Amino acid sequence: MLRITGGKVYDPANGIDGVIKDICIAGGRIVDTVEGGRTIDAHGTIVFPGGVDVHTHVAGGALNFARGLVPENQRVARKFLHTPKYRAGLGGATPTTFATGYLYAGMGWTTVNEAAVPILTAKHTHEELHDTPIVDKSCLLLMANNEIVLDLLEAGEQERARHVVAWLIWAAKVYGVKAVNPGGVAAWKWGKNASTLHDPIEGYRQTTPAKIIAGLAQIIDDIGLPHPLHLHCNNLGNPGNVATTIETMKVLEGRRAHLAHLQFHAYGGDDWASMRSGAAEVAEAFDAHTNLTADAGAILFGDAVTITADGPWQHMLHQLTGRKWGNLDVENETGCGIVPYVYRDRHLVNAIQWAVGLELLLLIKDPWRIFLTTDHPNGGCFWRYPEIIRLLMDVEFRKEQVKRLPEAAKSRIVLADLDREYTLSEIAIVTSAGPARALGLSAKGHLGVGADADVTVYPEKPDDGTLFSYPRYVLKGGEIMVEEGELRGLSEGREFIVHPAYDAGIEEYIRPLFQKVYTISFENYPVEMERLRHVELVGTDR
Amino acid sequence: MGGKITCTLGEVKNRADFIVYWGGNPAECHPRHFSKYTLTQKGKFVPEGRKGRTMVLVDIRETPSARAADIFLQIRPGKDFEVATTLRALLKGQRVDEPSAIETGLTLEQMRDFVDRMKRARFGVIFFGMGLSMTRGKHMNSGAILTLAAELNAFTKFVCMPMRGHGNVTGADVVLRWTTGYPFGINLSRGYPRFNPGEFSTVDLLVRGDNDAALILGADPGATMPQPGIDHLARIPTIVLDPKVTHTSRLARVHITTAVTGISAPGTAYRMDEVPLPLRPALTSPYPTDEEVIRRIRLAVSRKPAWIPTPIETMTSA
Repeated sequence: MLRITGGKVYDPANGIDGVIKDICIAGGRIVDTVEGGRTIDAHGTIVFPGGVDVHTHVAGGALNFARGLVPENQRVARKFLHTPKYRAGLGGATPTTFATGYLYAGMGWTTVNEAAVPILTAKHTHEELHDTPIVDKSCLLLMANNEIVLDLLEAGEQERARHVVAWLIWAAKVYGVKAVNPGGVAAWKWGKNASTLHDPIEGYRQTTPAKIIAGLAQIIDDIGLPHPLHLHCNNLGNPGNVATTIETMKVLEGRRAHLAHLQFHAYGGDDWASMRSGAAEVAEAFDAHTNLTADAGAILFGDAVTITADGPWQHMLHQLTGRKWGNLDVENETGCGIVPYVYRDRHLVNAIQWAVGLELLLLIKDPWRIFLTTDHPNGGCFWRYPEIIRLLMDVEFRKEQVKRLPEAAKSRIVLADLDREYTLSEIAIVTSAGPARALGLSAKGHLGVGADADVTVYPEKPDDGTLFSYPRYVLKGGEIMVEEGELRGLSEGREFIVHPAYDAGIEEYIRPLFQKVYTISFENYPVEMERLRHVELVGTDR
Repeated sequence: MGGKITCTLGEVKNRADFIVYWGGNPAECHPRHFSKYTLTQKGKFVPEGRKGRTMVLVDIRETPSARAADIFLQIRPGKDFEVATTLRALLKGQRVDEPSAIETGLTLEQMRDFVDRMKRARFGVIFFGMGLSMTRGKHMNSGAILTLAAELNAFTKFVCMPMRGHGNVTGADVVLRWTTGYPFGINLSRGYPRFNPGEFSTVDLLVRGDNDAALILGADPGATMPQPGIDHLARIPTIVLDPKVTHTSRLARVHITTAVTGISAPGTAYRMDEVPLPLRPALTSPYPTDEEVIRRIRLAVSRKPAWIPTPIETMTSA
């Protein structure tokens, strides 16, 4: 039992905006009141629900590939020393699993959503998530280039495709579905891409990216998953991709969807020379589509490692930069590409990208639909979120930063004209309440009675002036993880999964198809339930 | 330069029409490779099976694998890097002198033909073995081959994969990466992971005699290491966990017999393409599993006082 007293509470999901009130905790949850137990004096602090990361890459084959690809980055990364309680590790752009848990908790984030899991290597992802301490986790299955599903969509068998998707979700023991460059990764298996929405993709006659997007979004809604289709749109990173992004929104009308890392999909112009911010057009179209949520995928200047299932884009980035390139195509399902990257403030394209991420966060009107991410580690590391928060809350500071950009960039962005400053309540929405709602995690992102007792207490006037960098207390499930700014607690964290209903006969439909094109036995394909520990099943009735 | 362009083995089965083995002898070392993944299987986009694929073997001698190949390219020992670099030059249309080419053991004509065939492939793959990665040039050879495969992607789809073996070496590599950030050659003596192959790799530590104890798991360095390394293992307290008597267990102070993983102990193995496979034991064993032994050793060690002050102890005593 625990009471946090004297802090200013920001709990936007329950309409509480900076009210001084006690937060009472018992049995790992928020309760009305407690008798006895410890009291934390939180005078001079602000009290937030624990942060929720709706889109990050922290575990699995692709990220682990990246770790091995950049030893030169690991060498200069922050070190985590082994102690009797904590495991050794490294921070940096691709932190080791244990360090990932410590870093998220140390920043006040208590729930993370790993956004890209191939079914074939889902066992590996779950092993890594288990080794990521403290935070609660969920993960999303890569589906938009799965050839068994695409073949069904080609044949117009939407109903059967629904059962296959539901079976695959349960086989991989995941929480939701991610679509990356629909059709484009399948085309990449032949060295091609899919950058137009309404042309058939390589190897198919009928199936277009638009049909995959609409088909999958419909399936997810029909199954009733708590989190809608999580979509990485076609044409990522290319100048002029605003048109594709807006067209994708039209394709999605009438269905729910979450648009991932919107920053990478909001560029105007025709080529690299004429590239400009397309944030205003995207924000306007997005405001009109209330069926959608999105995360920013903002970039920060400095080192990053780009990791995505978007193989063709990574080949392009490798050719642009000459940096080393990793690629891993996963049979019949998906692929991934990795290119280390440095975002530079003197670089015209990077400067525009930096502005676009912030512009989207500032231009999109409803904070409940746009969330703070960097698409870690693609746009920057998750442990740099406080830097973005400062840019959102402090217009003077932001305008100072804009002055550092190349002259050529200033006429191609609108950031300098935006005077909006985020309020503390809005920060609580874009970092916690909003993403929790979009994920459909009803016990996360708020401090009402019955919520998980994930609470972050920040000093109201931090010594170094940077709010949100060093929480004074972080509670996870009612246990104190961070105390007086120092990591002192440890727990294992749960994994959220769903068990959607499907026709029991579908397994016998998939088996012969599987045996024809895969190289492992069908019995070894699903993730065994015993492999997961601390599982929480979330209902699929929405 | 650098990087790794690869795929899981099913992509090869379903798509590859051009397959290169370089510095390896799969017919004897990976006997199921041809039949399960690369040559004889009918693939989704290679319905003819073997007839739809071309196989090239690059090696310094004619091994039994050459019988399976359509084209055998015999190169001189120690010339792998030169061959790979010449191929890259030809790929880019750069000028190559006949005399320098001929030193590799291949004619310029043979190499031109090889490059043309690779460019014409619909989906090509290069598998490279220890004949490339563990001979003169070592990681430079691997780097040259990986770069060749990456550069071929400007013309067609091409991937590359090391032919790994020796039990679950890929699994060890995978787990070490997510726990320490590095795949092998890791030193934890400062309390955090450091990586430097050539300094911290097992063979280098043993040959220099840097370590004063050894715990050997799932390996038999007594059979493969250079003699000074083996002598050092015999000199220091060496503990071996192995189901059977090995060269290393004979020179060890302690040999703990363990159950055979995959036969009488469960677990997970990672295939050479990093696909995890569950192992389901068919038999029971009177011996403990490797995991059980390590867990008990760890528990015993954790009961001892820490030998260096930890940050937390330092802080609380201050």
